[in-house]
Amino acid sequence: MSKQDPVTEEVKRETGSGTDLWSVIIAPSIWALHFLVCYVSAAIYCEKLGRDAPLADIRLLVIAVTIIALAGIFWSSIRLWRAHDRSLTDDDFEYEHNTPEERHRFLSHVALMLCVLSAVAVIYVTIPMLYLESCR
Amino acid sequence: MTDKRAETEQLAKVWDNPRGWRALSDVNNSIIGLWYFAAAFAFMLFAGALALIIRVQLFVPDNTLVTSEFYSQVFTLHGTVMMFLFAVPIFEAVAILILPGMLGARDLPFPRLSAFGFWCYLIGGVFVCGSIFFNSAPDAGWFMYPPLSTEQSGIGADIWLLGLSFIEVASIAAAVELIVGVLKCRAPGMHINLTPLYGWYVLVVGGMILFAFPPLIAGDILFELERLLDWPFFDVTRGGDPLLWQHLFWIFGHPEVYIIFLPAIALLAMIVPTFAQREITGYSWIVLSALGTGFLSFGLWVHHMFTTGLPSVSLGFFSAASEAVAVPTGIQIFAFIATVMLGSVVRSVPMLFCLGALAVFIIGGLTGVMVAVAPFDFQVHDTYFIVAHLHYTLIGGMLFPVMAGICYYYPLIMGKELSRAYGIWSFWLMLIGFNMAFLPMHLTGMLGMPRRVFTYGADRGWTELNMISSVGAFIFAAGFLLLIWDCVRPKRHQKQVRRNVWNAGTLEWAARFGNSWGMRSIPEVNSRYPLWDDKDFLRKIDEGEGLLADAKEGRRETLVTSVLDAQPIQVLRVGTPSWLPMIAAAGLGCVFIFMTFKWWLPMGLGAVIFLSAVLRWLWTGSAEIPEKETKDIGGGKHIPLYVSGYKSTGWWAMFITMTGDLTAFLALLFGYFFFWTIHPDFPPPGIDGPGWFWPAIAGVFILCAWGLTLGARLVNAAGRPGLARLFLALGWLAALAGGLGLMAGPWTTGLDPTAHAYPAIVWALVIWILAHLATGMLMQGYGFARLLYGKATPTHDADLWNIALYWHFAAFSGVLAAVVIGGFPYLT
Repeated sequence: MSKQDPVTEEVKRETGSGTDLWSVIIAPSIWALHFLVCYVSAAIYCEKLGRDAPLADIRLLVIAVTIIALAGIFWSSIRLWRAHDRSLTDDDFEYEHNTPEERHRFLSHVALMLCVLSAVAVIYVTIPMLYLESCR
Repeated sequence: MTDKRAETEQLAKVWDNPRGWRALSDVNNSIIGLWYFAAAFAFMLFAGALALIIRVQLFVPDNTLVTSEFYSQVFTLHGTVMMFLFAVPIFEAVAILILPGMLGARDLPFPRLSAFGFWCYLIGGVFVCGSIFFNSAPDAGWFMYPPLSTEQSGIGADIWLLGLSFIEVASIAAAVELIVGVLKCRAPGMHINLTPLYGWYVLVVGGMILFAFPPLIAGDILFELERLLDWPFFDVTRGGDPLLWQHLFWIFGHPEVYIIFLPAIALLAMIVPTFAQREITGYSWIVLSALGTGFLSFGLWVHHMFTTGLPSVSLGFFSAASEAVAVPTGIQIFAFIATVMLGSVVRSVPMLFCLGALAVFIIGGLTGVMVAVAPFDFQVHDTYFIVAHLHYTLIGGMLFPVMAGICYYYPLIMGKELSRAYGIWSFWLMLIGFNMAFLPMHLTGMLGMPRRVFTYGADRGWTELNMISSVGAFIFAAGFLLLIWDCVRPKRHQKQVRRNVWNAGTLEWAARFGNSWGMRSIPEVNSRYPLWDDKDFLRKIDEGEGLLADAKEGRRETLVTSVLDAQPIQVLRVGTPSWLPMIAAAGLGCVFIFMTFKWWLPMGLGAVIFLSAVLRWLWTGSAEIPEKETKDIGGGKHIPLYVSGYKSTGWWAMFITMTGDLTAFLALLFGYFFFWTIHPDFPPPGIDGPGWFWPAIAGVFILCAWGLTLGARLVNAAGRPGLARLFLALGWLAALAGGLGLMAGPWTTGLDPTAHAYPAIVWALVIWILAHLATGMLMQGYGFARLLYGKATPTHDADLWNIALYWHFAAFSGVLAAVVIGGFPYLT
């Protein structure tokens, strides 16, 4: 994509296409869903099976959900990586010019960094499940 | 030139504020914002006085100044007022006041809604605060934990619940207004990457309010049903669980901390670049950290519940997320520090407060990371360590930035300057007093002093620390009062300040003091700091070379632009001064206030007043068909005066409101499944109902009502308004049938809501849906009438779009409720 003529790209974006606010929040939304699934499933599991229940089964579920979540964030990152680039005008990360292309690159940059943050947060949330043994 | 002068005069006439006693009917953002601001500070002073009572009482051990009962009322009210009547509303106040100027709008899209929100806030706030003078203030702590609050509290708990529910209406109204404002009312050319950072923060916080406040509203409903009608949601003996309240409260309560923090730190994002005399460093990093904080802050609520005996794996999830949120919070602080370091700093009072804010907040953040670790939290839970932590975050993260904002924006809003000497004195008194009051509390807490005790024994070893804290609190108060005095003292002899007194770069400083229309003409914005980057910028605005430089038709107008690239799409005619918002708020206030005392007749009367005022307001003031299709806004641009559907601000307002509404419904549904998890048998043995039959019938009728309402919009757009009216009438009947069917389920199976939490939550869900179906029927009737009287036509159908949108949400909730209450008992 980035190999194409930048001017043509810019004209295309005039129609309002490119990264929008919804795609900016994809990765954090994946984090939120992952978090909810982990918490809700573990809470129900422990409530229904009692405090002595080992976490082995639910751990598999959480790891599976984590892999899916990270894959989703990775997919979103790849998509953004293609679009993400430095500012067309200044070759920096400021994105301070008033063209749709600049807006598109700005949002892609924000979204990409949010992917990183969300991936970190997903991994963080998974850690307790890896070392705890039971529902106590 | 005379043309230009005539234009200016016309603008001034159209935007003139009403005078005399009619001034109270004003709706313009510059006035409502000021009122909001003044009210928030009045409440703040009141709560501050309560804090001083607390500190005097704790000054010496075994003090008998106030009784234990009164002390409970004092600390409950102190927390409640500071959180609900100061910290959140001050965000709304500041945003309403300065956001339109920053975005280059003449006003916010729904000025009357702002006014409505303000009156709700004022009435509810006075009601809640006034209760202490009748010795009946809430007294169970600002988070009102049952069973203490349900079993023991007097009327105070009802005052808390209903008063605050009422005020939450104001917050959601403000969220709707501000989100639509940021997304749709930016000056032409202000792409989303050029939006002032304050706008970004407001957008994030508005979104957070939509997901944070509704769970509390749902919790309030359950709580009040228990207090009023004895439905046992939180009563363990009848299948309830107090933990449900803690969940619902903190799903609201933790994001609320960030709802308070983010808009205040947003002021720093505006102030720091001005005094560093350079653009902000890492604009996109700050945006992403605001967004990231907004999301992650929803994964923290259980860290307030670490000591409730939840499984350690649950604690682990929330502990991890609590640590993770420090990452985005840190990014923005580093960006501010980098801006200061890269610029050449101008010494000034606002900058002092900014630096003080960063220092104090960082200490609070660090203790936050400590208490996010569950084992440490076990030790200090409910001690003065927590009191110290939360005051460091709130005063560093909110009060100091707001003080900086006051010193910074005072010349813009009031046209006069604050005294530099007073400002510096005030800052140092506040900083020293604050640290003297709250730093020792870390130790007092570690030594074991619990929160909320009205006195302590001399042998505990807490005496000296408490004395230091009390002295510090008074020094802090003196600094605060000094700044307030500087703001309100008469400045008649002072010259009016020059325009853009701080040499700032952002758009709000282009306004001249003393008019309510913002800028003379709306400029094309090409950069983040137009006043710095375009030396000709102010001249172009003043000479009316921008857009919408006149108001020929005598209407108040502002530009609506597209979300991402800010292309003009509509000239929006905004609301003019009116008594209706105030009357509507008074009516709604009667509903909430009289419900507290169970005076049903006046309450009903209040509901009628509220509904009539709202209907009249909508009928006369919304989706008006303009006298011509387009308007010439200058620069050869002809822009439509009427748009409908997702291009219109009204559609977005409905979408945003209903998102919040859906969140509240999901919170109620969470209650249903929460009860399922805690009961081995669900539904409990011996309670059968509501069966599958009636919920199924209800679901089908609700779907019909939805389909017919949507159909009405479609056939109307196809040029058949008569058929659309028929569809709406049939939809009305279907909704009625759906509601009756839904009620028939628990009714015919004899579910008694006072017997057990299960029938109670089923009834609560049913009542929620019934209320929504009734509102939906009112809307169908409204749409019918609009079509009948030609106020809506096949080409001017904004009303029908919005009604159909409401029904998307209402039908989704209704069908989901029917499926859950009808189907779920058969799965378990």
